[in-house]
Amino acid sequence: MTDPAAAKARYGLGLGVVGTSGLVLLSAIVLTALLAPVVAPYDPRETTGRPFEAPSGAHLLGTNDIGQDILSELIWGARVSLAIGALAATVGVSLGTGLGVVSGYFGRRIDALIMRTADVVLVVPFLPLMIVLAAYVGPSVVSLAIVIGALVWARPARVVRSLVLSQRNLDFVTAARSLGARDTRILRLCIFPAVVSLALAEFVQLASRAILLEAALAFLGLGDPVQKSWGSVLFYAQARGALMSAAWVWWVLPPGLLITATVVGIALVGFGVERVFTPRLRAR
Amino acid sequence: MTRFIGGKLAQYGLVLFLTVTLNFLLPRAMPGSPLSFLAGEEVGTLTTQERERLLREVGLDRPLHEQYVSYLGDLARGDLGYSYQRQRPIGEVLVERIPWTLLLTGLALLLSTGLGLVFGAIAAWRRGTRTDFASLAVFIFLESLPGFWLAMILIAVFAVELRLLPTFGARDLYAGLTGIAYWLDVARHLVLPVTTLTLITVSATFLTMRASMLAILGSEFVMVARGKGLSERAVVFRHAVPNAILPVATVFLLNLGQAVAGATVIETVFSYPGVGRLMYEAVLARDYPMLQGGFLVITVSVLIGNMIADLAYPILDPRVVRRD
Repeated sequence: MTDPAAAKARYGLGLGVVGTSGLVLLSAIVLTALLAPVVAPYDPRETTGRPFEAPSGAHLLGTNDIGQDILSELIWGARVSLAIGALAATVGVSLGTGLGVVSGYFGRRIDALIMRTADVVLVVPFLPLMIVLAAYVGPSVVSLAIVIGALVWARPARVVRSLVLSQRNLDFVTAARSLGARDTRILRLCIFPAVVSLALAEFVQLASRAILLEAALAFLGLGDPVQKSWGSVLFYAQARGALMSAAWVWWVLPPGLLITATVVGIALVGFGVERVFTPRLRAR
Repeated sequence: MTRFIGGKLAQYGLVLFLTVTLNFLLPRAMPGSPLSFLAGEEVGTLTTQERERLLREVGLDRPLHEQYVSYLGDLARGDLGYSYQRQRPIGEVLVERIPWTLLLTGLALLLSTGLGLVFGAIAAWRRGTRTDFASLAVFIFLESLPGFWLAMILIAVFAVELRLLPTFGARDLYAGLTGIAYWLDVARHLVLPVTTLTLITVSATFLTMRASMLAILGSEFVMVARGKGLSERAVVFRHAVPNAILPVATVFLLNLGQAVAGATVIETVFSYPGVGRLMYEAVLARDYPMLQGGFLVITVSVLIGNMIADLAYPILDPRVVRRD
C-alpha cells in the first residue's frame, strides 16, 4: 500500500475522483426520482396550465400540449426510466450470470448449448428485434424491462463463463472438491464470491444500455402510455411539433440532457467500480 | 480454416432459421386472433362468414405444420407477404427503401471510421496528456447521447432556427430536380442524418483504435523503430498506425452488417425513407407483416455483413488462419 496511485484511489469510497463524481451525479438523479411526490411542483397527469405555455415562475419548464407541467413530468419520468434500467439490468445480469456460471462450471454439452445460444443472440439485429417483440408483447414497464433483459444477457454470460473457467481449476477449488464438497457448496463458497464483482460491473453497463434502449423504444411510441418516461416525453414533444417552435428549448432539451447525465453518471461509476475490483489497473 | 467457415455458416443458418420461425410463431402464439395480426385490425368488424373466408384465404384454418411449410415455401420464392397498410407486396416496398438506408448508413460508417481512427491514434500517441483526456471525455459523452435526441436538437438548431438545411426527407419531392441539382438536393438532405449517425457511432471506433494503438506503441518493434533513429512521425504513421488498424477493421466489418439495422430511430426523426423508418411506420399502423418483413431483411443483411467480415478477416490478418 505504498503505491501512491493506490492510496489516491482510496479516497471517496475508493471510487477515485471520476467514480465519485459519477456517484454524486447519479445519486442526485436517483434521489430526485425517489422524492418525486415531494419535489415535483404538480401532479404530471393533471392539467395545471394552458397548453404550450412558455417557462414561467409557475411552470419552470413550461407546459405540454395538454397543459401538464413539463418539469413534473420529467421528475416522475425519472422513476420510470430508472426503474426500467435497473429492472432490465437485473434480469439481464441474473440470466447472464446464472447461465455463465452453469456454462463455465459444468462445461460439455450444456456449455456448448448456452454459448451457441449466446452467439445467436449476439448476431441478431438488436433494435429491430426489440421493436418487433415490443409491438407484439405490448407496452408496459415490466414487459419492456423483461424484453430488454432477455436480449442483453449474452455478453455478461460470456464474461462470467470465462471467469468461472479460470476459477474452477484453482488449487483451493480442487482441494475443496477432493475433501468431498458438493457442486452446490463449491459454487456457493468458491465460485460465486469471485463472480459477484464482475456481475456488478456488468450490471452497471447493462443499466445504462437499458436506459438508452428504453428511451429509443418509448420515442418510437412503444413505451408504456400510462407511465411516461423521459423517452415518452420526447415522443410527445416530437409528435406535437415542439421542434418547429421555440418550445424545443424547454420541452426537448431537458429530457435528453437528463438521459445523457444519467448514462454518463453510470459510466463514471462504472470506471470507479472497475478500479476497485481490478486493482491491477490502479498501478497504471 | 474450412472448419472455421463451416462453423460460422452453421451459426448463421441457425440464426436465419430462428428468425424465420420467430416471425412465423409470433402472430400465431400471441393472445388475440392471429387474423388481426396477419390481415389488419379491421377484422374485428367482419361477420363470422367473412372471417372464415379470410381465415381460409390466409391459410389459418390448416394445421400448424402445414402453415409453416407453406410459409417457408413463400419465403423461398421471395414472397414476404402483403402489407395491409400499404396494399402492396412487402418485398416491393423494401426494395424501394433499402438504397436510401445504405446511402445514409454507408456514408456515416465511412465518416465515423475515419474520424475514430484519426482521433484514436492521436489520443493514444498523446497518452496521458490533456489532449488524450479531453478526447476521451468527448467520445464518452457522445456514446452516452440518445441518438434520436441528438437528431432532434440538430434539426431544431440547424434546420428550424438557422434555416440552413431541410428538416425532413431524402429529397425535395416537388421541385422536379434533375441531374446535378437533384444530387445536390439529396446531399443537403443527408447532412444532418449522416452527422447524427456518425457522432453516435464514432466512439466505438475511437475506443478500439486508442486501445489497439496503446498496445502497439508499447511493443518491441516500435521500440526498435525508435531505436534505429526514425522520426517520431515515421514511427507513428508508418509503423504503429498500420498495425493498430486491424481491430478497427473488425469493428468496421461488423458495423457493415448492422448498417441496415442501425438507423431506425435516426431515420424516424428525419422522416428519411429508409428501412428503419419503414419499421416505425409499420409499428404505428400495427402492420405486423410489414414489421416482420423488415426484420427479416435486416437480419439477412446483418448475416451477410458478418459473413463478409469472416471471409475478409483472414485476408487482412493471415495469422488467424494458422491458429486454426
